[in-house]
Amino acid sequence: GDVYKRQGLRICYKMAGSGYDYDVSTLSPEGKIYQVEYAMKATENSSTIMGMVCKDGVLLGTEKLIVSEMMVSGSDRRVYSVTKQIGMVITGLLPDGRCLIDRAKEESASFQKQYGIPITGKVLADRIAQFMHMNTIYLWARPYGCNIIIASLDEGTGPALHLIDPSGQCFGYFGCAAGKGRQIARNEIEKLGSKNLTCKECAFHLAKILHKCHEEMKEKKFELEMSWICPESGMVHQMLPKDIQKELEARAQETLEKEAMADVQSQIMKNINICLLYTSD
Amino acid sequence: RPPRSTPKPSSAASDVYKRQVHGDYLIDMESIDWSQPIRDGTTIMAVVYDGGVMLGADSRTTGGALIYNRVSDKIEPIHKRIFCLRSGASAHTQKIAQLCRLYIGQLGSELEETPPVYSAAKIIQSFIYNYKSFLSAAMICAGWDPIKGPQIYTIPLGGTLVRENIATGGSGSAYMSGFCDTHYKAGMTRKECRDFMIQSISLAMFRDSSSGGIIRLLDITKDGVSREYISHDQLPLKQNNYSQSCLLYTSDAADEGLGVDLGGR
Repeated sequence: GDVYKRQGLRICYKMAGSGYDYDVSTLSPEGKIYQVEYAMKATENSSTIMGMVCKDGVLLGTEKLIVSEMMVSGSDRRVYSVTKQIGMVITGLLPDGRCLIDRAKEESASFQKQYGIPITGKVLADRIAQFMHMNTIYLWARPYGCNIIIASLDEGTGPALHLIDPSGQCFGYFGCAAGKGRQIARNEIEKLGSKNLTCKECAFHLAKILHKCHEEMKEKKFELEMSWICPESGMVHQMLPKDIQKELEARAQETLEKEAMADVQSQIMKNINICLLYTSD
Repeated sequence: RPPRSTPKPSSAASDVYKRQVHGDYLIDMESIDWSQPIRDGTTIMAVVYDGGVMLGADSRTTGGALIYNRVSDKIEPIHKRIFCLRSGASAHTQKIAQLCRLYIGQLGSELEETPPVYSAAKIIQSFIYNYKSFLSAAMICAGWDPIKGPQIYTIPLGGTLVRENIATGGSGSAYMSGFCDTHYKAGMTRKECRDFMIQSISLAMFRDSSSGGIIRLLDITKDGVSREYISHDQLPLKQNNYSQSCLLYTSDAADEGLGVDLGGR
């Protein structure tokens, strides 16, 4: 793009916003807030996160690139427990995400202290969404550049998922995804119909979908982080036990390879048929 | 405070407020000790029965020897299916109930469903416990919610929170504790519960000077809430606190014609 010199000191590039994107308190003539859109871009190219509501519980998962061989495995955490029965996963700018998780823990603790009952997923998601939105209206703050999925299991309402984006929008879902592989993940989730499966069965599909989302960058090493709230975990938010996760990942990879082979074979068959059509006289 | 010597009713026109004529008697307002805090001396009671919970209270609010309100309502609404019973200093309990209503209203709109009775009790407890050196309040919080059904929580003076199936409170509760212990049984029907409560509260009102008036009852079930009151002439044990002229009668003038029953045995 063109380069403009501004006030002799700063250089700015002409971007889509063209003048209405300098701070978050400006609306553009089309009615968009560009800073919030830029914050959403921060999450679009980051690790995929997803969640699924099942018959008896709820699952959360994320795939993350291993940044360095020297890093202690498990120290780059994305999935956190906010209360015993609420878990959160973050993507985008990770320090922003960690700040929100801290806030969520404070909100839950103060709710429990005042009302004597554990906070429900919907109320927590609403409060975090309001908190994130607060950063999109004042001049001196910038939006949080992360997407969050909150998974919860309440006595009254059962399993629930909420996805919050940097603008502060919060919706409840049966299955949702955010990050780089969100389109693939969303298609797969729709096809799956997780509401009729148990968490145990769905965990395999979660692993498979996360591996599928990562296919474009197969060369780069990555690892999965999965968690669930279901009878197998004692109705408490817990990371998937390591042995179960390993076994599921191995099965998932096998299945994906088989499906890939089947795809290639059917392509070959199609080509052969076309050849046969042309040779017969 | 040392008792005042009986002052003469002043006759100046500006002192008219100091005189009140009540029937044939002149009451000198100055001789009444206004510094006594207004209290719900009270008998309050709540019982869980099969299908809901019933709350009952007397209706006397006193300030020292003066009855401020003989038909007061000690049953405070907190939410659609949550109510509380007040005993102790009226100002304190009314304020606590008002604040509880505020917070539970907020909780109800956040949750978008019936708030739990436990939360209302917790809020009342947090006030009574944290301000116990300033307050003189003991309350019973009762109601129905979809998860736990009918519940009663007592919060006495110190700020303990206890869940019970039958709870009594106030100065009159001591006089009916024997009766309650003997005649309470779990899982009563609505009619049995109502009769049990009317009988107990009458007994308490009969003996406790800070309790009296009418019995107010409130019934909370899944389907709704209904109120009623038992007026003084329908009480099982009749009381003689409505007639001022009873002081002029001697004990053998049990005069049915005047509708006065001295309750003497």
